[in-house]
Amino acid sequence: MVRRLALAALLLLATAVVAPQIRAHEASLGVLEFREVRPGAFIGRWTMEPAIGASRVDLHVPGHCFLRMPQLICGDKGLVGPITITNLGVNMSAVLLKIIPMTGASRSYTITTASPVVSVLAAGTPTLQSWIELAGTYVNYGIDHILLGADHLLFVLGLIWIVRSGWRLAKTITAFTLGHSISLAAAAFGLIGIPERPLNACIALSIVFVAVEIVKQRRGEVGLTARYPWAVAGAFGLVHGIGFASALAGLGLERRLLPGALLFFNVGVEIGQLAFVLLILALMWAHRRLNAVLPRWGDLLPAYAIGSIAMFWFIGRLVRVLGVT
Amino acid sequence: MTQNVRVTTPHAPATRRPRLPRSALLPGLLAMAETAFAHEQQGVPAGLASGFLHPLTGLDHLAAMVAVGLWGAQLGAPAIWILPITFPLVMAVGGVLGVLGIGLPIPEIVIALSALVLGGAVAARLRLPFAIAAVVVGVFAIFHGHAHGAELPKSADPLAYGVGFVVATGLLHLCGISIGTLSRSPAGGRLIQGLGASIAVLGCYFLMRSFGGPS
Amino acid sequence: MRQFASRYESVRSVAVKRLLGRVGFATVVLLAAAQTADAHIVASRLGDFYAGALHPLTDLQDGVLWTALGLLAGSLGATHGRWLVLVLPPGLLLGLSVGLSVGSTWIAPLASAAMMVVLGLLVALGLRINVAALCVIALVLAFMRGVVNAGGAGAATDRVLFGAGLAMCGYAFIALITALTIAFRRLDAQPSGTWRDIAIRACGSWITAIGLIAGGFALAS
Repeated sequence: MVRRLALAALLLLATAVVAPQIRAHEASLGVLEFREVRPGAFIGRWTMEPAIGASRVDLHVPGHCFLRMPQLICGDKGLVGPITITNLGVNMSAVLLKIIPMTGASRSYTITTASPVVSVLAAGTPTLQSWIELAGTYVNYGIDHILLGADHLLFVLGLIWIVRSGWRLAKTITAFTLGHSISLAAAAFGLIGIPERPLNACIALSIVFVAVEIVKQRRGEVGLTARYPWAVAGAFGLVHGIGFASALAGLGLERRLLPGALLFFNVGVEIGQLAFVLLILALMWAHRRLNAVLPRWGDLLPAYAIGSIAMFWFIGRLVRVLGVT
Repeated sequence: MTQNVRVTTPHAPATRRPRLPRSALLPGLLAMAETAFAHEQQGVPAGLASGFLHPLTGLDHLAAMVAVGLWGAQLGAPAIWILPITFPLVMAVGGVLGVLGIGLPIPEIVIALSALVLGGAVAARLRLPFAIAAVVVGVFAIFHGHAHGAELPKSADPLAYGVGFVVATGLLHLCGISIGTLSRSPAGGRLIQGLGASIAVLGCYFLMRSFGGPS
Repeated sequence: MRQFASRYESVRSVAVKRLLGRVGFATVVLLAAAQTADAHIVASRLGDFYAGALHPLTDLQDGVLWTALGLLAGSLGATHGRWLVLVLPPGLLLGLSVGLSVGSTWIAPLASAAMMVVLGLLVALGLRINVAALCVIALVLAFMRGVVNAGGAGAATDRVLFGAGLAMCGYAFIALITALTIAFRRLDAQPSGTWRDIAIRACGSWITAIGLIAGGFALAS
């Protein structure tokens, strides 16, 4: 018992060093808004300044436009054509561009290094080109979100650890996917709304739960997750999906494009999740083949590691919920 | 499309060696080259593609490599398994000589001869002692490697070029060896001898060209 | 007897198919990763962890060298090979920390070419070296690659995350290649000296050839 406590304490200490480095959701994002004040003339404003400072963003507008912040003059053609930022990099990974015309709905575009040029479309019905652009942007954004979301990945890892492999794992992962797709859609359409901070604490708690279940399973107890893995995965999937939605909501989408963006974002999330699951399964196969498994005394090490990291996050997020800092 | 293929070997003097017609290349390779160049990629993909295509676009080289595989299969063990292990090594030694600019005598003629001799050996089912066969193949390997080494592009990623080059050459051997396993049946053996004869004829043609100057 | 033989054949062909599937899958995964692994895109899109994880895949140096090491470990068997999983990541981290503090340009391209030649020859000749020698080779290689990969970390890069990504990538790469090699050799089912061993040795000679060409380039320029 003493040894186990010592082990847990050691892990907690280790994660306290490492965990602050793993920033689950933060990205160095900037949000730039162009509001049309008279036909063809816009006023630009940074509603969220990127970390490097607004003045250092190298923004290029279509050739017929003239930009001198905060003014953007485009003449009769209006703001149509390619917009790009050339100095995207480590400090500024993405810039969200909101264009608010005098008439009609506002439009949003995301400029990232993966797609550094966005084509601003004329107002009207979306064309095939604009759908392709939308797909490219949001699939990438979905992949980024899941791969950077260490909490989501840790939860999936915990599920794999309990269910191991085979048909049951496929069902479990599908249930998780279904769960987060449903709640992502519901939250994106505004059917449900949960404040972000308690939600993030809940997500961390879900990982702690899975870690506890692993420990139970190793002790020979049949826990809830071992018996109904798909139910647990589906239920917690609902929670994680709302988390995805809050990331999507941060992008400020045009209403008519929301279903499409939601679909492509979710596709991106699934691509990233599938890649992660396949990698983990491949590594588990490799370890069996190499006969390189943890010794008996270290059997619970992964569970304690997952649990400690998640608990650390939970406490940190709870502190934020309670408004201590 | 033709243009794309030419991009792969910009360093090669156009008149130096006859290139295989585009239609004779495997469609898959073309697809690969095309995807590699559609985006005007530099660096690793370009190096891989040009390295991979280089041994395949020189007809004399291609014929000689296949002939080596065929002959190895005819000779049977141990040639059939020593060959794929040692040939790339010897060829790379020749390649290093080429890269460093160390000249070899009459490279054109020896390379043309290689297709003639190896094709002839396959056609005649020549059974040389293993050591002599190894020396013959080794000498030709050095010359082939040298020719490629001297032509290595300066622009592409050198390591990627080397990887593509070695893999393509190795796969050519595998092709030769797997065709060569046909020689176990009498009809297949006849077929392979015919293949060897046509490679020898090709070699004759290259030899005449290298004497007569570029046409 | 004949029935048994045919059953054995069919079992074997299924196993071969499955194995080919795995090898194909692993190749596709690695190639796909290499295709998308443009260092700058990754660095700015996915943060420093992925910058570290994908930096080794942006050029082929690490890929070829780690593949050679995995082939060597796999051809020596699981009891030898599994040590690399423990040795390679710390070696990478050690090299990375040295490279970050004293710079990464002092490892000449010729050194990694020489490493390719050595590892490739060990595989091609089928030499059986002992565990300690394998670990020393792996440690030297990991140290070298760690130093070189330090060049991928910019001034603004989070070094802890970058290192974690690099170590993770090295670990996953070596575990997969070693396990695939062992699975390919099927020591449990067949006597050694089969075409499978020859195929692995041929791969070793290809790597030596690649190393020779790369070395020639390094000398010429």
